[in-house]
Amino acid sequence: MIRSSRPLLALAAAPLLLLVACGGGSGAADESASGGGAANGAVKITLTDDGCTAEPNSVPAGPASFEVVNSGASAVTEAELVNAGGRILGERENLTPGLTGKFSLKLDAGEYTVQCPNATTDTSKFTVTGAAPSSTEDPLFASATTGYQDYVKQQVADLVTATGAFAAAVESGDVAKAKELYGPARAPYERIEPVAESFGDLDPKIDARIADVADPASWTGFHRIEQSLWEKGSTEGMAPVAQQLVADVGQLNTLVQTTTYQPADLANGASGLLDEVAKSKVTGEEEAYSHLDLLDFAANVEGSRKAFDLLTPALQVTDAGLVTTIQGRFDDVATALKPYQRGSGYALYTELTPDQVKDLATAVDALAEPLSQVSGKVVGAANQ
Amino acid sequence: MSTVRPSRRGVLTGAAVVGAAGIGAGVSAVASRPAAGSPTPARTVAFHGDRQAGITTPAQDSLVFAALDVTTTRAGDLADVLRRWSAAAATMATGVPVGGPGGLGGALDEPPQDTGEAHELPAANLTVTLGYGPSLFDGRFGLADRRPAALEELPALPGEQLDPTKVGGDLCLQACADDPQVAFHAVRNLVRIGRGTVRVRWMQLGFGRTSTTSTSQSTPRNLMGFKDGTANLRAEDTADLDRHVWVGGEGAPAADQDWMRGGTYLVARRIRMLIESWDRASLGEQERVIGRAKESGAPLSGTKEFDTLDLTKTVHGKPAIDVAAHVRLAAPETNGGVKMLRRGYSYTDGLDLATGQLDAGLFFIVFGNDPHQQFVPVQRRLGAHDALTEYLKHTGSGIFACPPGVRQGGAWGEGLFS
Repeated sequence: MIRSSRPLLALAAAPLLLLVACGGGSGAADESASGGGAANGAVKITLTDDGCTAEPNSVPAGPASFEVVNSGASAVTEAELVNAGGRILGERENLTPGLTGKFSLKLDAGEYTVQCPNATTDTSKFTVTGAAPSSTEDPLFASATTGYQDYVKQQVADLVTATGAFAAAVESGDVAKAKELYGPARAPYERIEPVAESFGDLDPKIDARIADVADPASWTGFHRIEQSLWEKGSTEGMAPVAQQLVADVGQLNTLVQTTTYQPADLANGASGLLDEVAKSKVTGEEEAYSHLDLLDFAANVEGSRKAFDLLTPALQVTDAGLVTTIQGRFDDVATALKPYQRGSGYALYTELTPDQVKDLATAVDALAEPLSQVSGKVVGAANQ
Repeated sequence: MSTVRPSRRGVLTGAAVVGAAGIGAGVSAVASRPAAGSPTPARTVAFHGDRQAGITTPAQDSLVFAALDVTTTRAGDLADVLRRWSAAAATMATGVPVGGPGGLGGALDEPPQDTGEAHELPAANLTVTLGYGPSLFDGRFGLADRRPAALEELPALPGEQLDPTKVGGDLCLQACADDPQVAFHAVRNLVRIGRGTVRVRWMQLGFGRTSTTSTSQSTPRNLMGFKDGTANLRAEDTADLDRHVWVGGEGAPAADQDWMRGGTYLVARRIRMLIESWDRASLGEQERVIGRAKESGAPLSGTKEFDTLDLTKTVHGKPAIDVAAHVRLAAPETNGGVKMLRRGYSYTDGLDLATGQLDAGLFFIVFGNDPHQQFVPVQRRLGAHDALTEYLKHTGSGIFACPPGVRQGGAWGEGLFS
């Protein structure tokens, strides 16, 4: 169950995705690579130790090219174009006296600032007038979000099947069978956990741990049954809980049929799954009775990777370096998990030594850090 | 020795200026090499210079020390982290957030570049000093032939009971500032930047300086209640620093690795004080053990703090300074003239859960250009004979090579990886 305060998925709106800018963010393309055609705004930013001003300081919405010139400033070596939210859309750094740098952007109407750190006056206003050119839906993002929709539907379909089999074993009182089917039912849920979490109390009903519920008597879901199976070696009194679980999973299935996703949902979901791993899987808290935490761990990472992979083609445009870093670190996590694979499952958490836990935690943190940058990149790209 | 030695004047004028400027100011600014015509703003220490900051810089009030391991075998990734660390450390040293003035804010849909807790706090003389541990040169990064001979793991030493979780490290970061939150912020942000390439192996917070590294500073007391560092080397002792601290300095052994010229070695020892026992010792015993008067700090052979130690003086036929006194055994005269630059901090980690006693003491940091001929023999002598040893236990340890300073436009690691 997710306890993160990360913003929940925005579910209501259908994706409204704008054209990917020609180089948003700090890796803004230089002009030759912009491919944006003739810019109707050509802006020159001159760096001095006193400050930096754009000439002109107002352009119409649309493509704009910026030329940053340092004609003799010793303390000031960079300029940035920053939007009203404080995000750097384009910048050129390390411009020592005599050097010139360029970047191009597609700009919406609004107030911006040109910033040049270390200058006496390090900020000046920059205005984009008029309306943004009509935007088209970006096919890269569109295929990411519909791809994710398909993935979620498939995982929930698997969840329905696996949970049905698990619940049947519980209801028939077959403890051994129920224990065997518990893990396979958990995995698809853990892959798409952030989606389930977005439906209010559905996630607590399915996935709450005893410490999460106000009244233990009302505790339902997987972990209630897990406790009974592993702690008590019994299914006694669990039949209604199993039936409720099947109903809740069925409701989740109904909901995801019509749910659509924004690119930021994928990014936040990918990140949120990693935070889940770091918080409760790598600590052995999630599966307190069965100790199947590594199975959840692997499923969280799989779900995270899927969301990230879907965003990759679009992200490749805005920040290819970030893509490479994150892919490498996903691979590192997979490598770190590999020694604990046991057939189709994983070693019990209790088999791990403290050093092994630490290595897994380190790999997860190493991945989570750059992954946390993705949301800003896709939102920025989608809004430019 | 074909390489030109850094000019001593160029190196140390900054520190010397501080000696004067700091008087009455309480806190002083120092730059190891201030840029001509641009005075260093108050309470900031320039990151760039011929020497790393945080060595002869007047010791700040608090310390966060981190020993780190490199988790990748890709040398390029490590060099990249060192570059990004340099930029971040230089920025933070001026009191500006990581990522620049806007590093704290930014878009609502991405994490801020800077973690924020030092925002609107002064730079508090923040310095960040980098060191390389011997294990960095084990061949993972193609650096095996770049290890200076002096960067050898410390041998087992008397008086130590090392906790294996507080030993060694591929790298170290020593962050010092007059505000503990500023020092913590620095290490936290650097660790964040390095995530995926390095991870913290062990960490120590120090809450009060126990050394004086400039004549502008008064002598602080350690947790034994005694003035500590009265006889320390000072930033102003330029000839001694060249001879004993800086690698390749005048009068010092020649540098065997060119990238270390102008650097120094850092030895860190987490020294637990058995303060419950110490507090039960009589004043006479405490003073005999240290060799100084508790209140004034004067050697027992004299009357004032800065009186020169007279190791030959006797009172009623007995040495004024006991044969086992700490100051005698640590004195250069007893150690073939060895001098070191001490820069330690008091620490506490709360409770020793096994005994219920306080886990507190001295996080001893010492700089020298040949630790195996300086720290090691002195510690052997102290560990075997020093009356103070009865009250101490060395529980953590590390040795690191601190490269020379970073020039404007340069970065940590450039000399090593070039």
